[in-house]
Amino acid sequence: MSTEQHEIVVVGSGAGGAMAAYVLAKAGHKVLMLEAGRDYNPKTETPMFNTNSQAPLMGSGNKDKDFGFYDATVDGGWSVPGEPYTTGKNSDFFWWRSRMLGGRTNHWGRYSLRFSEHDFKGKSRDGLGADWPFEYNDIAPWYDKTEALVGVCGTNTGLDDMPDSSEGILQPPPTPRIPELLIAAAAKKHGIELAPMHRAVLTRPIDDRLACFYATPCGRGCSIGAAFQTTTSLIPMAKATGNLEIITDAMVSEIEVDDKGRPIGIKYIKKPTGKAHKINAKVIILAASACESARIMLNSRSKQHPNGLANSSKQVGRNIMDSTGAGLGVMIPALKGRPRYNEDGHTANHLFIPWWGHKAQANKELDFPRGYHFEIGSGFRMPGTSVAGDLQGYGPELKQTAKDNYGTYLSLALRGEMLPNDNCYMEIDKEVKDKWGINVVKFHWKWSKHEFNQVKHGLQTAKLLFETMGATVNKLPSPEEAILKGGQIIHEVGATRMGNSPKDSVTNEWGQTWDCDNLFVMDGGVFASNPHKNCTLTIMTLAMRNASWLSTQLNEVGEGDKYAQA
Amino acid sequence: MRKRETNTGRKPLSGFESEQRHVPNTMSRRDSLKWLSLITAGGVAAVTSGVSSTLLAAQVAHQDSGHWPAHKLTPVSAKGYGKDPNLIMPPETPWPLIMTANELVLITLLCDIIVPKDGNTPSATELQVPAVINEWVSAPYDWQQRDRVTIMHLLAWLNDEAKLEFQLGFSACSRSQQIAIIDNIAYLNDTTPPQFSRPAQAFGRLRELVLAAFFTTPAGMKDIGYLGNVPINGDYPGPTEEAFAHLDNILDELGLSEYKYNT
Repeated sequence: MSTEQHEIVVVGSGAGGAMAAYVLAKAGHKVLMLEAGRDYNPKTETPMFNTNSQAPLMGSGNKDKDFGFYDATVDGGWSVPGEPYTTGKNSDFFWWRSRMLGGRTNHWGRYSLRFSEHDFKGKSRDGLGADWPFEYNDIAPWYDKTEALVGVCGTNTGLDDMPDSSEGILQPPPTPRIPELLIAAAAKKHGIELAPMHRAVLTRPIDDRLACFYATPCGRGCSIGAAFQTTTSLIPMAKATGNLEIITDAMVSEIEVDDKGRPIGIKYIKKPTGKAHKINAKVIILAASACESARIMLNSRSKQHPNGLANSSKQVGRNIMDSTGAGLGVMIPALKGRPRYNEDGHTANHLFIPWWGHKAQANKELDFPRGYHFEIGSGFRMPGTSVAGDLQGYGPELKQTAKDNYGTYLSLALRGEMLPNDNCYMEIDKEVKDKWGINVVKFHWKWSKHEFNQVKHGLQTAKLLFETMGATVNKLPSPEEAILKGGQIIHEVGATRMGNSPKDSVTNEWGQTWDCDNLFVMDGGVFASNPHKNCTLTIMTLAMRNASWLSTQLNEVGEGDKYAQA
Repeated sequence: MRKRETNTGRKPLSGFESEQRHVPNTMSRRDSLKWLSLITAGGVAAVTSGVSSTLLAAQVAHQDSGHWPAHKLTPVSAKGYGKDPNLIMPPETPWPLIMTANELVLITLLCDIIVPKDGNTPSATELQVPAVINEWVSAPYDWQQRDRVTIMHLLAWLNDEAKLEFQLGFSACSRSQQIAIIDNIAYLNDTTPPQFSRPAQAFGRLRELVLAAFFTTPAGMKDIGYLGNVPINGDYPGPTEEAFAHLDNILDELGLSEYKYNT
């Protein structure tokens, strides 16, 4: 086994890892990045403009490509060959992984909403879950810096669930489409405001990244760099400093510690050869995704860390939260045969429905403590397998019906905040190893009444809005039927949460583990709560803030270099 | 339709030659179904030795529930395209195609009944939709293999039905005979006779696939009015004046004009 010495090793190249690597490399630190998947280049690999008829099975999804043929995800999805995960009794959990440079940022929805003051102090407000170890005002400047670097379009709305960005930070959002405007009017009748979605999609160029040309779904990735992914931005920018080295196909198995229990090195398997390697590092940053980072820590057992590395709190692997998800869709008869125009836009929501119920919750008018938002499904989208739906008849009349119905289907997708609970956690499955010989994750999952009550409210609200638009809504499913499975929204966070105390959290506010001062977590694992607003912007913001703090710490070193090895 | 007598000059079922004595050649469709239910319910192997394989195992418990073939389909053994296919140049034939020539003839007929030529817009067959259906049912994935079972049974049912009604395979029937059969299964609702509900469901699934395969082609996208997938220089232009005017009418009709969104 060969051993090399490095200053900083970052595990993972997604939202957290790439941002940490960029900030540190730019500040002059030597960074080595380990990525479990293959190298990936969106400039040459993105199927821009390809149509569904050019793909097998009209581009539809299957176990090889869960989100459709053109989805950017490489060697991943709900299953990764040779790398299983297991679930406990009566637990359904789905774990999306990407094995590629840039990780899940290559295909994410790019929805980039700031958490608000409510979100960081939920426990102070309703006594549930955990507070974050800082307030909105502490992180607001970092949101500005992250949004400016990433490039986010949207507007300041002044709505209480959508904190404003500083002047000049946001890029102009694209103009709304007809179905979104229809929903906006229906919602307003009931006192609910729609707002421009904030998305990490450039409407103005930044550096060598071009502005969106309003075609090709962002989930395929973006060869022109308009839709943010680390492989067209942070990673090449970090490499340009000359301070970043990347090893792809490097599957990390565990972190080694010295006699005092201090992390000194990382073991990984080089996938093409199957050979084990070891790297010594002064500082280790885990950003392999919330559950993969927790897996590495729990698999790194030693005399000094019998429960897994930096797990004296026994919180590693606990407190996992996904977003709640449920959807309702209908056909709006009034939209039949509506005038055609190009409705691609930036290929996702131009308008959405932010959470409107903070006041109602403060007044105890609702039977669930945390909010949700609705994303809108609509539009004259590129025809795919569901273009016509289940119709009747045949011949010219059938085709005319399909054409009349095109662009009349609306859906509202609820994305809500769940609270952590003792039934939602992961542990190491002692019986099952992956093909690299690493013990796999076993997930446990159970929604609580908070989530069911929230979903019930969401379904009723969606029904109300659809009926206001003149649609017929059949009997609503129960919340238990409607709620998606744990993990399916792919917002799983919290497995190594941050807090104010080493007793009930894994890291401090800087993502530095309480037990090991040279071990950091900079992915969604550190989330103390999981607000409904999609996690990626906040993962990047925290990674920027915390990597900046780490850089300051490293630069302050002198004789008593606290990160130097004994 | 259901009451129509079979043509007495023809054999009612092409596979019944060797056991013709058991099948009165003047029996009505209803009678033939009754007879069919007897042989399947009773498992009269000796009697049915010459029956077509699809009809042999037909699961007919009651005359009104109609007939439905029980195909034994050989599982496909191909692999999928994997988790890292070339997305820029997708594989053209990702797995071996399994439909027989006869099945393709039948699918081609159905494709053009579902989406015929329409003015300047080509028919489903002219746009190679049968090839898409063949690729679909041949695909080694769960969803497609469920559809394969549905569609292959539908094809066998159509042949059986055509033989019961017209003593011919479906593709040998006249256009009006074919349409007569399709009319029975093209509308699935509360009044659909029970014997047609299963084939109607299967036809519905095929119809959905044919429409999708049609509308995903360049000609189909044009026909449905999809105007996207073109790069725009500058800001997204948004709805046209005509589209806004249409929305204003809708808002007016729904009593929502006063709640119009201010951009």
